[in-house]
Amino acid sequence: MDPIKLTIDGKEVATTKGKTVIEAAAEIGIDIPHYCYHPKLSIAGNCRMCLVEIERMPKLQIACNMPVVEGMSVLTQSPKVLAIRKAVMEFLLVNHPLDCPICDQAGECWLQDYYMQHDLQGSRFQERKEHDRKREVFGPNVVFDGERCIKCTRCVRFFQEVTRTDELSVVNRGDHSTIALFPGTVLDNPLSGNVVDICPVGALTDRDFRFKVRVWYLQKTSSICPGCSTGCNVSVETYQNRIARFKPRINEAVNSHWLCDEGRYCFHDLTGGERLTTPMIRQEGGLAPTTWERALEAMLSGLRGSIPLAGILSGRNTNEEAFLFAKLMKKLSQDCALEVLYQERELSEVQKILMSPDRSPNFRGAREMGVSSNGGLEPLMRKLFDGHFSGAYVVGEDLMGINNDQDRIRQMLQKLSFLVVQDIRMTETAQLAHVVLPSTHFGEKEGTYTNRNGRVQKLNIATIAPEGALQDCEIFVRLLDAAGDKVSYSTPVEVFDALAKEVPAYHGLNYAAIGEQGIQLGGGEAKQQ
Amino acid sequence: MEKVLLRNIDVPDSHTLAVYSSRGGYRPWQEVVKNIRPEQLIEEIKASGLRGRGGAGFPTGMKWGFVPKDSPKPKYMVCNADESEPGTFKDRLLIEKDPHAIIEGTLMAAYAIQSHTAFIYIRGELAFGANILERAVDEATQAGYIGKNILGSGYDVDLIVHRGAGAYICGEETALLSSLEGGRGWPKVKPPFPATHGLFGCPTVVNNVETLAALPWIIEHGAAAYAAMGTDKSKGTKLFSVSGHISKPGVYELEMGYPLMKFLEEDCGGVPNGRRLKGVIPGGGSMPVLRPDELEKVNLDYESVQAAGSLLGSGGVIVMDDGTCMVRAAWNLARFFAHESCGQCSPCREGCHWMEKIFHRIEQGEGRKGDLELILNVSGNIMGNTICPFGDAAAMPAAAFVRKYREEFEEHITQKRCTIRNGVME
Repeated sequence: MDPIKLTIDGKEVATTKGKTVIEAAAEIGIDIPHYCYHPKLSIAGNCRMCLVEIERMPKLQIACNMPVVEGMSVLTQSPKVLAIRKAVMEFLLVNHPLDCPICDQAGECWLQDYYMQHDLQGSRFQERKEHDRKREVFGPNVVFDGERCIKCTRCVRFFQEVTRTDELSVVNRGDHSTIALFPGTVLDNPLSGNVVDICPVGALTDRDFRFKVRVWYLQKTSSICPGCSTGCNVSVETYQNRIARFKPRINEAVNSHWLCDEGRYCFHDLTGGERLTTPMIRQEGGLAPTTWERALEAMLSGLRGSIPLAGILSGRNTNEEAFLFAKLMKKLSQDCALEVLYQERELSEVQKILMSPDRSPNFRGAREMGVSSNGGLEPLMRKLFDGHFSGAYVVGEDLMGINNDQDRIRQMLQKLSFLVVQDIRMTETAQLAHVVLPSTHFGEKEGTYTNRNGRVQKLNIATIAPEGALQDCEIFVRLLDAAGDKVSYSTPVEVFDALAKEVPAYHGLNYAAIGEQGIQLGGGEAKQQ
Repeated sequence: MEKVLLRNIDVPDSHTLAVYSSRGGYRPWQEVVKNIRPEQLIEEIKASGLRGRGGAGFPTGMKWGFVPKDSPKPKYMVCNADESEPGTFKDRLLIEKDPHAIIEGTLMAAYAIQSHTAFIYIRGELAFGANILERAVDEATQAGYIGKNILGSGYDVDLIVHRGAGAYICGEETALLSSLEGGRGWPKVKPPFPATHGLFGCPTVVNNVETLAALPWIIEHGAAAYAAMGTDKSKGTKLFSVSGHISKPGVYELEMGYPLMKFLEEDCGGVPNGRRLKGVIPGGGSMPVLRPDELEKVNLDYESVQAAGSLLGSGGVIVMDDGTCMVRAAWNLARFFAHESCGQCSPCREGCHWMEKIFHRIEQGEGRKGDLELILNVSGNIMGNTICPFGDAAAMPAAAFVRKYREEFEEHITQKRCTIRNGVME
């Protein structure tokens, strides 16, 4: 890689041949405003917002397509550049509708942001604006507004280059140019929601999020998507303690800039419904509320008296929870059979761009923590059906929903002499339990997931659990304590430090070093999925 | 002056191979393909001083020289027959009356850059001309001038006539290439340039019809003979399409450097009906208009017209007499550019229509104070800031009309109508 030295706004930049001015500027923290440029898409060069002055060149040049040359001197704040930015803003706003009050993009709209940073002048356009189709449904997740569109073609290029499904194109000419769906198609490919992220304006908006909440009210928490074991980095955005939406976070080692639709909207099913807020215990006539003390006591004695034991952990439980769960179960019975829920399915070509064929984000981490003793879920299920186990502790999963054999699973569960279910809602499995414990979901946890490729990544608490529910870690620690194995750790940090000492693959890992981008087991960077 | 480009068009059936051959046609091609090396051909054309006749005036030999000889990719030669510049109809004449000259020139250019696939991209509206071209290509193929191992030389070349679908922007070379590739007629961002990354990402040269039609004569008579005509920097002859308020409109071939006023008054018979000259656009609708007081010293060559503040362009000479409402003329052109803007980049997509709306308002009697400053400012913001020269082409005439006829525009705004009567403002 040939080194190139150039100056941008008087600052020297040392970069490599092949980079463009906009990339070189970003390397030293200079953000050149742009719309159509995207680091993961081909260069379009149509918005003209990134025009900069290059000394000794008579015309301004677009920074996104200008290759760096040794000794080049770039000015991004010269009077000519500041003037052209205002001019480009004025042009973009010529036919732009005055939709801000009803547009979801407000607060994260690049026209608004750049207007405030680079323009602040009224438009001189006083003619009749061109009109276009508004709120045209493109697909189940995406709705289009032709008037707001600035024809940057990011969406067109995304579907041509990333998903290669080609649903969108520009049609018509001049200022009647607009984005259109290929006739007869619907925008329903598995990554369709990403164009809402990359559309700089409110032309493509999310139907799920439409009109829900103004973005400046959202609290944003970095976390990991609980959809599958790819472990896409997300920002969980909440309002009044409810998750309003997921947005992807950039992580080149995992998901780059993208998020699949399944993951993007998975929080609805994983967090909705009426929550359990008190432990329940089976008595004459069914399940009744009880105290934690009584519930845990009944649970310990019930499970101890129902050897052999099976333990099924959800793939959405964290490493810390899995570590404690394995410890607890082995304390209760030396030969308990533990498995993390893991099922595979076929993925289409487009799905394979991001997704893993499972719905268990932390299956690898859980297994590495010891929740793996029976050669996988299938053999464990078979043993359950054979009546091999007397007692079972099911955490975070509704077994009645794992396949179509509902009657058979119900019969199997009913035959168990003691069943404990720990979950966030009264699931069908929980209804058959002897003890039900209210716990938390992924959005209410702090902890780590290890993705399929061995990357340890951090979840952070985005919403507060309802009164009465306890963190799974807390429940396991209390049980260990009651079982006679008092542990000195209880918070996620402390548990992680403990597991880092005990699990060989995690030796030497530092919780604080996980940060926003995660750390790779084994030291090297796993290849991106 | 010896005719280079129009030497055949008055001969009956000049478009047939029989007549073309009888007048010496394809002898230069035989000479080139059998006895001249590609590098020699490039040097000869450089020496002739031939410059692109589509409007940009880029030295043809130099353009050919930019094609990397060692590239493993196939090379493409494209003849730009998308003539759409307002006031320009010279290529159409050559297509209809002397298609073989165009074909022969295209073949030579292909040979010079060692391309084995050549295209003639002809605007779709010229269906009559396209049919003639296709028949001529068939004739030339039958005669063995196109195809494999031409005349035993070992050189292969295919020539394909491709019709456009009604867009002025496809005359811009990279938009033409996009269209030829099967995509929207959108110009491509540069760099990279067509010489290295053109059609399908391969080295490509695009030349205008008139440029290529001159090649057979140059090879037959030699570069020196061509360079002996014209001026120091504008060599040879050029076709001028004259239209508008002129007694003898039509296509004329002139030696470069011919005085403009002499041309209009003598060769073209002057402005008819006793009217007086009010303005001349010298190089097609995208070039700045010149007032009579600016025309005295103008000669028809690249440098002289540029010195006068306009450009020679395609040589489309549009003459306007004193009965012309310049506001309406400006609006007419603005409407053309607004309609033809491809819409890719923001200044042109939004600015061209904005200017059209302002011109229209003024023309209709609803002009406002500040409109003229706005047009000048908007056109200034478009110029130089677009992906392709279309933005400049739309901006230049808009600004030129307003500047050169400011008083008339202001009168039209204040009086809320055109006040031209008998050649003067009332």
